[in-house]
Amino acid sequence: MTLGRDAMTPLTVLSVSETIYHNLLTSIVQDIVSRTTSRQQLQDARYPGLAPLHHDQRGALDVYGRPKPQEASVYFRCPNCSRDLSANRFAAHLERCMSRGARRG
Amino acid sequence: MTAKDKEALELRAQIQQHLVESGNYELISNKLAQRLLDEGWIDQVKKLTRETMQDDNTTNFSEVLKRVEPEAVSLVSANTKNEIMQQIKAFLCDILDTQ
Repeated sequence: MTLGRDAMTPLTVLSVSETIYHNLLTSIVQDIVSRTTSRQQLQDARYPGLAPLHHDQRGALDVYGRPKPQEASVYFRCPNCSRDLSANRFAAHLERCMSRGARRG
Repeated sequence: MTAKDKEALELRAQIQQHLVESGNYELISNKLAQRLLDEGWIDQVKKLTRETMQDDNTTNFSEVLKRVEPEAVSLVSANTKNEIMQQIKAFLCDILDTQ
């Protein structure tokens, strides 16, 4: 908190108020800038060359710049019956698969 | 620096000291921070800082600050500035003798 910035201007209530206001404001700015820069420095040091998340104006691409995948074309294995099935049919499959399994057990 | 300047500097320091000791400095500081947050100024300055870092390709604190500070100061709405200035002036008028 230094008050030397405009010591040469005449000393009035207005000029002193201006100085105090300016001090308050610049310390807030300095705080924000130092937080933001050190955060960026840490990120650069930890993940060099990290690309920023993709932003698509039309809202069609995700944060990696990829289009939405077709869920019907994604398959994965059911842990209950070990069959490959379409991801968007998984809930419907489980209902039958689990009840059949329960009957068996 | 002349003796008069020295005196003026000392007076400023005294005023600030008094402001802190009476608890008014904290009061005004908190109010200013709250106003700036409410009007979105804080986020504007954060965005400005990030853009400056990207444009200049630097994360050097003093370089970024040099570019951000003047713009950030001018971004404060007239409303907020007036209100805080009023409060500081009112406090100064209480404790000062003016000719």
